[in-house]
Amino acid sequence: MMNSDFDSLHQVLSLRMLTPTAYVLRVERKGLEFKAGQHLLLGRNGSIESREYSVYSTESDDFFEVLVKEVDDGLVSKQLKQLKAGDKVKLDGPLGFFTLEPETIANGKFLFIATGTGISPFHSMVKSYPGLNYRLLHGVRYSNEAYDRQDYEPSRYILCTTGDQGGDFYGRVTDFLRKNPVLKDTHCFLCGNFNMIHEAFEILEQQGVPSSQVHAEVYF
Amino acid sequence: MKKIAFKTLGCRLNQYETDALASRFHSGSYEIVDFNQQADIYVVNTCTVTNQSDQKSRQTINQAHRQNSDAMVVVTGCMANNYKESLLESKNISYVVDNERKAAIFGIVEKHFRGEVADPEGFDRDVFSYEAAYKTFHTRSMIKIQDGCNNFCTFCIIPKVRGRATSRPAADIYQNIRSVVEHGFKEVVLTGVNIGRYNDNGLNFEQLVENILALPGDFRLRISSIEPDGFSDRFFQLFAHPKLTPHLHLCLQSGSESVLLRMRRMYTAKEFRAMADKLRSLYPDFNLTTDIITGFPGETEEDMEATLQLSRELKFSHIHTFKYSVRTGTRAERMPDQIPEKLKNQRSNAVRKVSEVNKREYFTQMIGKPQRLLVERFGADGVARGYGQNYIPIRLKAKGIEKNTFVDVVLDGIHEGKELEMTAVLL
Repeated sequence: MMNSDFDSLHQVLSLRMLTPTAYVLRVERKGLEFKAGQHLLLGRNGSIESREYSVYSTESDDFFEVLVKEVDDGLVSKQLKQLKAGDKVKLDGPLGFFTLEPETIANGKFLFIATGTGISPFHSMVKSYPGLNYRLLHGVRYSNEAYDRQDYEPSRYILCTTGDQGGDFYGRVTDFLRKNPVLKDTHCFLCGNFNMIHEAFEILEQQGVPSSQVHAEVYF
Repeated sequence: MKKIAFKTLGCRLNQYETDALASRFHSGSYEIVDFNQQADIYVVNTCTVTNQSDQKSRQTINQAHRQNSDAMVVVTGCMANNYKESLLESKNISYVVDNERKAAIFGIVEKHFRGEVADPEGFDRDVFSYEAAYKTFHTRSMIKIQDGCNNFCTFCIIPKVRGRATSRPAADIYQNIRSVVEHGFKEVVLTGVNIGRYNDNGLNFEQLVENILALPGDFRLRISSIEPDGFSDRFFQLFAHPKLTPHLHLCLQSGSESVLLRMRRMYTAKEFRAMADKLRSLYPDFNLTTDIITGFPGETEEDMEATLQLSRELKFSHIHTFKYSVRTGTRAERMPDQIPEKLKNQRSNAVRKVSEVNKREYFTQMIGKPQRLLVERFGADGVARGYGQNYIPIRLKAKGIEKNTFVDVVLDGIHEGKELEMTAVLL
């Protein structure tokens, strides 16, 4: 009925650095079912500490990838960064309900709003469902944090930067949202820091998007 | 005949599991005695949802040992999962049995008294392998339909101690209900950790409830504590069925959008308000009760005021108020701006005051209205006590009525006792 401790250990396949502090960790999937948007609980083998990470890879990949940003005073993000191919991680999941409604995928209009590594579930959704009608707002401090930008259609991806002017928009994602109202029938998915989500909720409500069409995954 | 005593702390799910265990021991020729009496075996079904629960659980374990230092003390429940190692070191405890093996306690005890090694780890994990409970501590029959939770609210330890969400097969549930109804139970209460997420091969919670309502027999169905997410219009319509009681314990936790987001709840305060409004527009006397956590990290005076305001507006007739407790391993443990205990106490008191006012107003609103009282017990004064379908505690002075029967009454007043109750006369 329940996974044994042995089952929860997954082998590390690779670790790919995207910036000096952000990396993509690839681990065995072991055939686990997964819907784009869900997250995993990951921790180093032998440690009691684990953290939640949205899956970065697609529903059809035979591995899991997560996008991790090393946190200055963090514990797990530093531990995972030290892993090498062949090491083991403790994995629980996939979990969560931050997924697309199947009936909306073919014809729905989607707005994805992310800050930082909050782009992870949207990377998974976009790559899992080619042809998805989406627009992605990605808020970061510096333009070199546009993780795997080449994986998105250029016309659908808007990089919002606050630390330099190398993005498509200079300012926060919420500033962009205020200046570019969304249509009321848009399905809005928000992933990232608490302040962005709280603010985006209010803006979308003012723009007339029903709350039933706004979905959020908070990163702390 | 060996004597066994049980003590349950915490939620209805724990109560169900204790009832099922007690029933198993009763049919296995054990004498069930009160926990305050001398027994050969004490089973403590613990809770770990707050610091206070931990404290009560430890006190109860010590109480068992004090009453009979030679007795076998079995500790199970969520604390057994959360603090297994430290509990195993205690000399006052004979066995520590995790939630997944709780149903095996009868087998463990039997094995022990046969003189065999009864290592709980050697028993299978199965959270649904309880037999139907007939010998229960309650007039209502609780039916476990689900266990575990995948929501991962930032304050909550339950996913760690109850595991991932899993649903009991619907056919087993129908059979369990048929069985307890045939055995004479008049009220069935659905229990689980997150019952709204019930899913048995595509059969969801609403469909399950609909199928249960279609089962034959003179019984009523109560949905206990439920998370306010994922309800369709069909869910609200189900309450038009005469067997489904017009009461929900719908867990709000906070009236502040900001706090709800940091708690990682699956709804907003606005959505919660819309659900409550919808229920009240369809069923004006619908009884809503709730849980509220005060003093969540970062909770401001404005957040607290939003909670009090929403509690008044939605007229919860009872608010189960918890002070936020840091639980090791949860996300909220690492959040800044933890609230001092003194302030948590003040805020809890403010919520309780709103709850008291709301309860009185709701009871006043119900005067003159009919209820179907399920008689649960008779007091020393001969007054029958029980609950109506709206989950209102009712006192009835009448002759010729029996325990565990439905009696149609009209509510005629409010009784000021230790707890506020309503009085009634026969219809």
